[in-house]
Amino acid sequence: MSKTDTITFSQPEENTLGVVVGNARRAVSTTARRLGRAASAHRASLGTAFLGLGAAIIVGLRAVYGVIWFVGHWDAYPEPLAALSAWIVLATVLVAAIVMSRVSGDRLPDWMFGLFLAGLATAFALDIIAIWDLQDVGGHATAALTAGMALLALVALRGAIELLAASGVLAIALAAVMFFDAPVGAFEDSAWIATQVTALAGAVLPPVIGVVIVESFRRMVQVELDRVLVQSTVSAPRFAVGMLASEELARLDLAAEELLQAVATKKTNLPLTPKNASVAAQLATELRLHLIEGRRETWLYHAVSESEQLGKSVTLSDKSSLAGLLDPTQRDGLLSAAWLLVADVPSAANPRRRGTTRTVNIQIGPVTPGDAPVPDHKIAIPITITSTGVPRNRVDSGVWDAFSRIGRYSDSTQDASLRVDIECIVDNPADQ
Amino acid sequence: MTGRMDLISKERDRLLQRSARVYGLSFTAVSAVCFGLPGSVPANALLVGLPLYVVLAGALVAIGVSRMIWWPLLALASGLGIVLTVALEPSPPTPAASLAIVQVAAAGIASLALVLTTSLARIALLALGALLTVGAVVLAELAEPASALRAGGTVIVGWALATLIAVWISAGVPQVAKRIASIGRAHRAERQASELEAQRRQGARLLHDTVLATLTLLAHSGVGVKPEALRQQAADDAQLLRQLRLGQSPAGPAEAGAAPATAVDDTVLGTTLESVKQRFGRMGLKVSWHGTGQVLLPSDVLDAFLLALAECLENVRRHSGVTEAHVTITDDATTVRALVTDAGVGFDIDDIDDAKLGFAESVVGRLREVGGNARLFSAPGSGTTVALEVPRG
Repeated sequence: MSKTDTITFSQPEENTLGVVVGNARRAVSTTARRLGRAASAHRASLGTAFLGLGAAIIVGLRAVYGVIWFVGHWDAYPEPLAALSAWIVLATVLVAAIVMSRVSGDRLPDWMFGLFLAGLATAFALDIIAIWDLQDVGGHATAALTAGMALLALVALRGAIELLAASGVLAIALAAVMFFDAPVGAFEDSAWIATQVTALAGAVLPPVIGVVIVESFRRMVQVELDRVLVQSTVSAPRFAVGMLASEELARLDLAAEELLQAVATKKTNLPLTPKNASVAAQLATELRLHLIEGRRETWLYHAVSESEQLGKSVTLSDKSSLAGLLDPTQRDGLLSAAWLLVADVPSAANPRRRGTTRTVNIQIGPVTPGDAPVPDHKIAIPITITSTGVPRNRVDSGVWDAFSRIGRYSDSTQDASLRVDIECIVDNPADQ
Repeated sequence: MTGRMDLISKERDRLLQRSARVYGLSFTAVSAVCFGLPGSVPANALLVGLPLYVVLAGALVAIGVSRMIWWPLLALASGLGIVLTVALEPSPPTPAASLAIVQVAAAGIASLALVLTTSLARIALLALGALLTVGAVVLAELAEPASALRAGGTVIVGWALATLIAVWISAGVPQVAKRIASIGRAHRAERQASELEAQRRQGARLLHDTVLATLTLLAHSGVGVKPEALRQQAADDAQLLRQLRLGQSPAGPAEAGAAPATAVDDTVLGTTLESVKQRFGRMGLKVSWHGTGQVLLPSDVLDAFLLALAECLENVRRHSGVTEAHVTITDDATTVRALVTDAGVGFDIDDIDDAKLGFAESVVGRLREVGGNARLFSAPGSGTTVALEVPRG
């Protein structure tokens, strides 16, 4: 947040003893979430290079098969030289693309992608010229079909939309060529149609399937990253500042230092202009907020607010900050349970249906003494987890194991919501 | 961290399931088109075959979301059924029918290999499925040995390819899990460092207290304070913030040349009291000191004590209407007490809900954190007295 942002705020509500009301904290956690998201988007390419290599190998095998088939049928070609040049062009762009991708890392530059597509189009056109007179594109095309599949080799290097669009254009071109090159009576001939359909599917489906698999893989990595990053809250102290909170505090300290320095060195005139005065007031407000309120949040609050996945669907009510008393095993159990309840969504492959599916509410406390026998120096914290949109038989079996790591639990189902009551035994903070 | 490995293998299974679904469904659809073309298969075969396609598609959809072994079994059975419908016809298959059964055998149900590599039982089912499928396709093409060979070969390649994809994806997941775990470790270290840094900055309470007081003065445009005094105060505070930024931890508004108060565990109260007095002096409130100044306090207790004291003095400066306050320090074996007294306008304690909230928050709250307490006495027209106490540690 720059100083210009600060200036736009109105005079904050505060009294001399530093009590502040306002939504600065909400703003801070939004910032944290946004930064976290940008960082994780950057890491989305993690591991896809390996999948891309596999895809390139498959394309290579397909090309070898195509070349063998073409050489075997050399005599049948009206224009074998056109088909041969198609293969030379195709082999060149394929080798170039694969070598460049190994060299340049996880993305093919735009101009190279353009060249690659132009090469595929050329190979496609040459191959069609070579077999046009045979009037059976599906039965004789080799380089043209491999050109369609060649897009699979780029599956880890370019975006899903671009590849699907390229594949779609190729499908339309192939279908058009098949249609206009059809012999008389072809459309009553099931053998001819089946051959064309098979050829079309073999050229178009592999890159489409490849895109779907790589996208699923990326999503899996994303979810896993989110979980691992949040997992670090398990070892946090009872009360903690969230990530970025110290950066925020450092930034405020620096802003205050600059302001005070400007006053001290007479760069800023006294008395202050209303605008500068409000900057000072805003700084004081934010500093107080960070100093006084900053350490009142537990690891669980930070875990939920920092996680993209949990933040969307988990609500937390923990008025007495009791979550901080849980030991690392119990925390891990609680976090895993929340994860399994929200992230185990069957329709995760379909992003449009996400978000509306499941919600989880975690209610911690209040402690009511004398309910159950508790060992010395321990207290029992009641934790209630209510989730909606999770049918009892759709709950991942790992959830029950996670619950049992928190404490003794009992569960009940009403309507479409699952309710789990857990009795969590923790060290009594009064004895420490 | 067995839990985490469980979770990642679940994610892997889900990925493989979804891949099998899209792979199987797309080629099953192509096969169904070839199968359903007019003249491709006889009418009775069509009546048996098309429902089997529906069953196969349903099973493949279910595989996408369920890990139960029954779905791959059902898919395999229905796929084999489709091939056998063609194989059991008395006449050899038409070219379209041949393409249909090769599509479904070499890709439609070969996609099951994606979900059949994760346990021994599943691998056994994979081998059995591949064998049966190749057998059924060869049986269908038996009339012509050359095409039987070609079709059987294609189906073997199809199953091998799907198995390879499954193995490849399964190999990729642990790799990426390892890298994610190392990112996680780095992140944990980062979180701890961030926590420590925040603690260091938040721990510098006395410093922030004086900075906040100065900022609040500036927020009121510095009204009521001499500009030179305010500039001097701002320069001192900027200097302290600079020290904090550069890694030193000044505990209080020590005068130039004085050692930072946290350099030793215990600090003499008097030196820091003097600086508080000077600060308020610059802002127009004369603070008179009474009692002992030679009290040693642990630095966290001292911080809380001075902070509370400064808050009280700031209130006097703002609200009392007088320019002088008295601070009396007394101590015994266990406790250090301060009485902050002014002869100002005073107020009715019942009227100050908001201020009381602030008082509780920043004075009482912080004193209690170190085992101390504060009490407030006032009435309109007769001044205000605040009693602060902290343990000697």
